[in-house]
Amino acid sequence: MSNAIVTNGLIKRYKDKTAVDGISITVEEGKLVALLGVNGAGKTTTIRMLTCLSKPTAGTARVLGHDVVKESDEVKKLVGISTQDTAVAENLTVRENLEFMASLYLPKERIGGAVEKAIKAFGLEEFRNKKAKHLSGGWKRKLSIAMAIIGEPKILFLDEPTLGLDVLARRQLWTEIEEIKKHMTIVLTTHYMEEAEALADEIFVMINGKIAAHGTLSELEARTGKTGLEEVFIKIAEEY
Amino acid sequence: MKNRTLSFAKRNLIEMSRDSLSYIFCVAFPLVMLVIMSIVNASIPKEAGMTLFRIDNLAGGIAIFGQTFVMLFSALNVTKDRSGSFLVRLFASPMKSRNFTGGYFLPLIVVAFVQVIIAFAASFIVSLVTGTELSVLGLLAGAVAVIPSAVMFIAIGMIFGTIFNEKAAPGMCSIIISLGAIVGGIWFDVEGVGGFMEKLSRCLPFLYSTKVARAAIKMDFGFDTFLMPLIVVTGSAVVLTALACFFFGRKMRADLA
Ligand SMILES: Nc1ncnc2c1ncn2[C@@H]1O[C@H](COP(=O)(O)OP(=O)(O)OP(=O)(O)O)[C@@H](O)[C@H]1O
Ligand SMILES: [Mg+2]
Repeated sequence: MSNAIVTNGLIKRYKDKTAVDGISITVEEGKLVALLGVNGAGKTTTIRMLTCLSKPTAGTARVLGHDVVKESDEVKKLVGISTQDTAVAENLTVRENLEFMASLYLPKERIGGAVEKAIKAFGLEEFRNKKAKHLSGGWKRKLSIAMAIIGEPKILFLDEPTLGLDVLARRQLWTEIEEIKKHMTIVLTTHYMEEAEALADEIFVMINGKIAAHGTLSELEARTGKTGLEEVFIKIAEEY
Repeated sequence: MKNRTLSFAKRNLIEMSRDSLSYIFCVAFPLVMLVIMSIVNASIPKEAGMTLFRIDNLAGGIAIFGQTFVMLFSALNVTKDRSGSFLVRLFASPMKSRNFTGGYFLPLIVVAFVQVIIAFAASFIVSLVTGTELSVLGLLAGAVAVIPSAVMFIAIGMIFGTIFNEKAAPGMCSIIISLGAIVGGIWFDVEGVGGFMEKLSRCLPFLYSTKVARAAIKMDFGFDTFLMPLIVVTGSAVVLTALACFFFGRKMRADLA
């Protein structure tokens, strides 16, 4: 299997802070990987660099073989991102938001079909003609995620996708993510350990901008002698 | 074919069309001023020789007055997008800087054109009521002749929207709105007052916008009255549009650094 993402000594330094401190990771195509870490660990910054929203200070990152700095035009066509903050056009309806995003990636004749598919996949039927600003926070979030997949990216970045969702909506979204996973590589960040347990093939634990540990859940359990991701995470954080 | 500029232009047009402020500022406000000033004009005795508010002069002034509010919307469109996460998402999409600038410009040109058509239609009605002659052909010529001026104001708005934040940009726009009203010769004969004011008005492009509009409406296409001001306005529009594209491109690169 080929690699979706390869980074080499990736660094992002801000004036007084090294947000990402030399990470070298490989994500295989078709996998769903979870990026875990406490607030400020550098998860969002890593995603920003991989989606060409931020330039690395040093190191390299390749997305499906394309360099994120030198070949950003190519990379942008291949990735979708659902940012940590919900990002929708407030005065557009659900359908119009999806149509607009689709039109940036797909040829005209495929937009209609893609929009219907996304509406169905996320259960947005009853809101299709509702303005985004009139949706509840959770539904807006779902729309925001639907807008990230509508361009049919090869790699999808979900930065805390279930932030602000109720228990049922979160479970529902997991099912939807499981479904999307069949078609694309996914990088997901979350503060919910059970979410990573349920969804991730592989887990990366970030601490202070570095990758402190990575592997499947069972590998990490074996290494730390703990059971359950929460215990594993705490153990890794304490030992680091 | 994917046309990202048009997609983005459509989104911006929809957003504006659903904002009631667009109608208040871009349509209602100029119309209200048109009516008020026409009433003022009716109360000015003929002997005073004051013709600035007579509909053949007023229509052109109102057209440019309206455009200053299109400028405000231009600035607001950009600052609103910049303050939310939506633009971040678009920066991660294949959209290029020119898709953004083009997509901000196009719908506002449409808005500006619709605005001037409405203002001139109302002016025509006023002309019928007041018995001042106003040629339909002149109004149509005027509607076309003020397009470069619209582009200029939209560009100014985009520059403010790109450089300043949501709080500062409207303030900067209101400076231009006031400046346009004063040295643009919309509400009084700035060329008649002389001194610093007149010099200032000649150094800024706004007076020329008003001149173009007034001359076209009167079907006066002379060099000094129409062509020269039109050249000044068009030149300013080209320079300011280039600046707007430059500033937005620079801002986008800075945000993605
Ligand atoms: N533009 C910036 N300028 C300066 N520092 C920044 C900037 N962006 C992020 N940082 C800093 O980089 C560090 C990592 O931030 P990042 O947003 O990547 O963390 P995170 O792991 O996503 O956290 P959270 O779980 O809270 O979302 C933080 O200390 C943050 O303050
Ligand atoms: Mg984050």
